[in-house]
Amino acid sequence: MVKRILRSVFLVDLFEGLWVTFRSQHPKNIYTEQYPAQRPQVAERYRGAPRLNINPDNGETLCIGCNLCALACPENLIVVGTERDEKTKRKVLTTFTYDTSRCMFCGLCEDACPVDALELTQDFELASYTREGAIWDRQMLEEGPRPTSYKF
Amino acid sequence: MADPTFLDATELVLNMGPQHPSTHGVLRVILKLDGEKVMGADCVIGYLHRGVEKIGENRTYQMFAPYVDRMDYVAAVSNGLGYCLAVEKLLSVEAPPRAQVVRVILTELNRIASHLIWLGTHALDVGALTPVFYTFREREEILNIFEAYCGARLTTHAFRIGGLQYELYDGFEERVKAFCDMFEKRVDDYEALLTGNRIWINRLRKVGILNAEDCKAYGVTGPLLRASGVKWDLRKAQPYSGYENFDFEIPTGIQGDSYDRYVVRMAEMRQSVRIIRQAVANIPAGPIMAKVPKVIKPPVGEVYVSIEAPKGELGYFIVSDGSTQPYRVRVRPPSFVNLQALDKMARGGLVADIVVIIGTIDIVLGEVDR
Amino acid sequence: MPEEPQVPPKPAHAAKPAAKAPAVMAVTAWEEELPATLKEKFGDRILECSLYLGQKFVVARPDAVAPIIEFLKHEAGFDYLVDVTALDYPSRAERFEIVYVLYSFSRNERIRIKTSVPDGFRPATVVPVHPTANWLEREVFDMFGIEFAGHPNMRRILLPDEWEGHPLRKEHSIIRQDDRWVKANLGIESGQ
Repeated sequence: MVKRILRSVFLVDLFEGLWVTFRSQHPKNIYTEQYPAQRPQVAERYRGAPRLNINPDNGETLCIGCNLCALACPENLIVVGTERDEKTKRKVLTTFTYDTSRCMFCGLCEDACPVDALELTQDFELASYTREGAIWDRQMLEEGPRPTSYKF
Repeated sequence: MADPTFLDATELVLNMGPQHPSTHGVLRVILKLDGEKVMGADCVIGYLHRGVEKIGENRTYQMFAPYVDRMDYVAAVSNGLGYCLAVEKLLSVEAPPRAQVVRVILTELNRIASHLIWLGTHALDVGALTPVFYTFREREEILNIFEAYCGARLTTHAFRIGGLQYELYDGFEERVKAFCDMFEKRVDDYEALLTGNRIWINRLRKVGILNAEDCKAYGVTGPLLRASGVKWDLRKAQPYSGYENFDFEIPTGIQGDSYDRYVVRMAEMRQSVRIIRQAVANIPAGPIMAKVPKVIKPPVGEVYVSIEAPKGELGYFIVSDGSTQPYRVRVRPPSFVNLQALDKMARGGLVADIVVIIGTIDIVLGEVDR
Repeated sequence: MPEEPQVPPKPAHAAKPAAKAPAVMAVTAWEEELPATLKEKFGDRILECSLYLGQKFVVARPDAVAPIIEFLKHEAGFDYLVDVTALDYPSRAERFEIVYVLYSFSRNERIRIKTSVPDGFRPATVVPVHPTANWLEREVFDMFGIEFAGHPNMRRILLPDEWEGHPLRKEHSIIRQDDRWVKANLGIESGQ
């Protein structure tokens, strides 16, 4: 009973809370990331910017033009253009359009691709100044976005 | 003779507009006040209505799964779990045991994440500016675990119909165990900050009382129902995804006021850590995906499956007409039904209590409006 | 004038096969005490009591639904109305199917009550029995256009009050918005 009165007169419950706050003032508890000097480390499986992979041996695209990614997309924003090569009688990729402004980054296209040509990479800096800049063509998909890097 | 310039109105209509820092989203509450006492609170919702149910009728079953995450965007993993369980019931398949245990781990982590946002923003609205930083720091750890597993922090799309898409990455168990150890100490910190604090108790005690009969009458579920004394949790009453194999308690309150809801949610966070520890201790080996056809065409029929989401009972009523697209997807959102009880809880209180009550109902407008 | 070449008659097996009957739900009969009590009390207003995938449902005539729900609450312990929703089958004469999902805490059981109503029919509201139906029925009205007779506040809930059109009806396209409302209230040509 006396303890309760003392606790309430001397504001013990408020000081307990203040002690928690003061404990976190220690410099080892600093949590802020200094972006853009330090870019955050995203995970390996992060679903970021799409990329069309290129075969490292001969520099050709890995995409076979099967259109499975376009069929899997919930928003129907992939358009794959192919033409038939007369010599090998196979489909050759001509154009590949991907609309990042409507993309949900759900990963269904990456899961559908049978040859691992379309991949969602760890790039997350996709901003552009215009609406049209968000619609990526084949060249942009193969090179990837080039965000400005800062040196401080 | 009465002075014609004297306004004899006793009731003031005040608009707590869609842009308000304490309404947790775009919620408009039209308050009828008598001085500072609240006579009625009428909610106007629909500012975030995106037509998810109409979208469901125009996408295939696998394509609709990413849209479901966007409803309760704070706890996206449970939305995905409910949808996958409903479609799996329609197809009469069950996910393999390894997938079920991993689903339990991710869903309980997601419950902790949702309660952390609730705690941080509720304390912030009431005026305690510190807990929000700590809860968001813990939430960062959980979101990093999600990101390492499925590639996205918030709109996870973690589960697929029939099981899981991704195998666990190396170090998953260690990371989750380290999180559990760290988190229990942090919950003690939050309790030190708030539970015994006289300001917190004065703001929350006897505010927004909803007794058990009213809860059942208004269809209120989740921590609000448990705080009114009804010991009911869908994970125990109608277990799904292997919850019957885990040992945990259901915390309940006594009076059904805001302080009891706070205590219930803090205890739920501790119980979630308990479940995660049990699940991570032995994850069975085996396949992660059941035998589900590439093109999902369930037989004609309908099913209603509900799970215990962090906010209440989240139900999916899916009607199939035999084709690749559902005929109707109805989502029974817990926040929508719980928000109805705002009027009942707010009457007789003061204006400052409205903020506390909206905080303790724990609504997410993405789920209220869909 | 050249003669029209004789077209040989098509062989019998090339004729179009008879159209298959549309598939129906493969239900099993529900034989228990509760459906027997319901059939005894409500007679031929109960059309069907069945199970599908272990989930119980009752199909009833539209005028019997509110009394059934009241009976279930007071006599059978189904004290929690989980959900009220509707479906649209435009090819049927009674195009809307209203579904009520009820749960009983004491029995730990869920039951669905379904009824089919034509366009323009105003079913009775269940708000006096379960206050939670207030917003749920408002949403059914907003999305489908089914008005509930006796509802205390029958207005739109998710869409603006002056909006025209009921989006979850099958003939309403997913792209279409009420451009008249958008132009008048938002000052832009179209929301698309």
